[in-house]
Amino acid sequence: MAKQQTEVRELQEGSYVMIDDAACKINAYSTAKPGKHGSAKARVEAKGVFDGKKRSLSQPVDAKIWVPIIDRKNGQIVSVDGNDMQVMDLETYETITMRVPEDKDVSPDENIEYLEMEDQRKIV
Amino acid sequence: MFPGASDERERSDANGQTAARDGETDARGRESDRGGVNFVVVGAPLDVSTTFQPGTRFGPRRIRTFAEPFDDYDRRTDQHFSQLGVTDHGDVRAWDDVEAYLEYLEGTLRDVVWDDAVPLMLGGEHTVSLAGVRAVSPEVVVCLDAHLDLYDAYDGNEHSHAAVMRRILEVESVEEVILLGVRTGSEEEWGRAAAEDVTVVPPVDVADWEPGAELENRDVYLSVDIDAADPAYAPGTGTTEPFGLEPREMRDVVRALAPHAGGFDVVEVNDRDDGQAASLAGKLLREFVFSHADAASEPAGE
Repeated sequence: MAKQQTEVRELQEGSYVMIDDAACKINAYSTAKPGKHGSAKARVEAKGVFDGKKRSLSQPVDAKIWVPIIDRKNGQIVSVDGNDMQVMDLETYETITMRVPEDKDVSPDENIEYLEMEDQRKIV
Repeated sequence: MFPGASDERERSDANGQTAARDGETDARGRESDRGGVNFVVVGAPLDVSTTFQPGTRFGPRRIRTFAEPFDDYDRRTDQHFSQLGVTDHGDVRAWDDVEAYLEYLEGTLRDVVWDDAVPLMLGGEHTVSLAGVRAVSPEVVVCLDAHLDLYDAYDGNEHSHAAVMRRILEVESVEEVILLGVRTGSEEEWGRAAAEDVTVVPPVDVADWEPGAELENRDVYLSVDIDAADPAYAPGTGTTEPFGLEPREMRDVVRALAPHAGGFDVVEVNDRDDGQAASLAGKLLREFVFSHADAASEPAGE
């Protein structure tokens, strides 16, 4: 899986993080102050990029954590067939099959922006 | 640890976090052990804006201590407290940036809600209830209290314990607040209390009050400020107010509301008595758990 390691302290709202092996976008980040005898902890609340599920984690700020590498790409819809559509990557000209999002109307020749992580994709 | 609860004490250092330090994300740390838990005790020892007598930082510890003599078995509901899936998360250590603390505390409590459990918060000054309400997102907040706590700001502080109900009314999900046992407030506060989204039930009427149709099919959060009790019963609190409620009146309110409530707190206990306030607080928490669990175990439709 395309990912890199960082420390919890480096995370921020709007960035990505792996929770339960799922790529998530952080929508809340709060830290507890350590006091005299503790270590600072951070709590991260995030939403799955590809599955939309809410997840959270609570960790010391110096704990190591994985961050997914997600590419933002441009593509052109070649054809639409029921719930699937053929999309051409405008950088590599490779054609891929994607599921048509339920909340979007798509039509051939339309340019779209999408997020890609390995074989997972989501239209922005 | 709250007597009868299992321990989920947060470690204050990183021991036990080896998985995370090896680079594998140990999501939620030890909280993944929460399977099957129904209630989570969370201490919130905030003691920043207390007026008159401070000491709420000792509230959670006192409540746990003075709950020790209580029997595990509850004859009324035929249940054992230790078998009801109560775990103690320990305290969320407080610091003096109240806004940041409330945000972190809210997250801790929201994790409980996401685990389909009921948060049971031990205050701490009443300000912490704001984090509880934000985490639970109820439509109705019912509060036992001697005071209205409806200041827009007290001494310029909008996060004062005397302004907590005003802040709670600003939470998006909250449609109304019901205040039971109130017997004092400023002119400004009574003005705010006259609005449609606030109901005030004076001490003399609390015994006859019961949750009506307005609570059916609505999410409820129950907050108990221990100063709702007459100071004779709970002297260990910051701002004592005579002519208050009897403990049994408070107990009956908790019993009646527990089946409807998705979150509970008991706040404003300090260490300036011989344990009376803490004992009452711990007992009310247990009454909440017994009544909530008892209602949940009844077959639907009964």
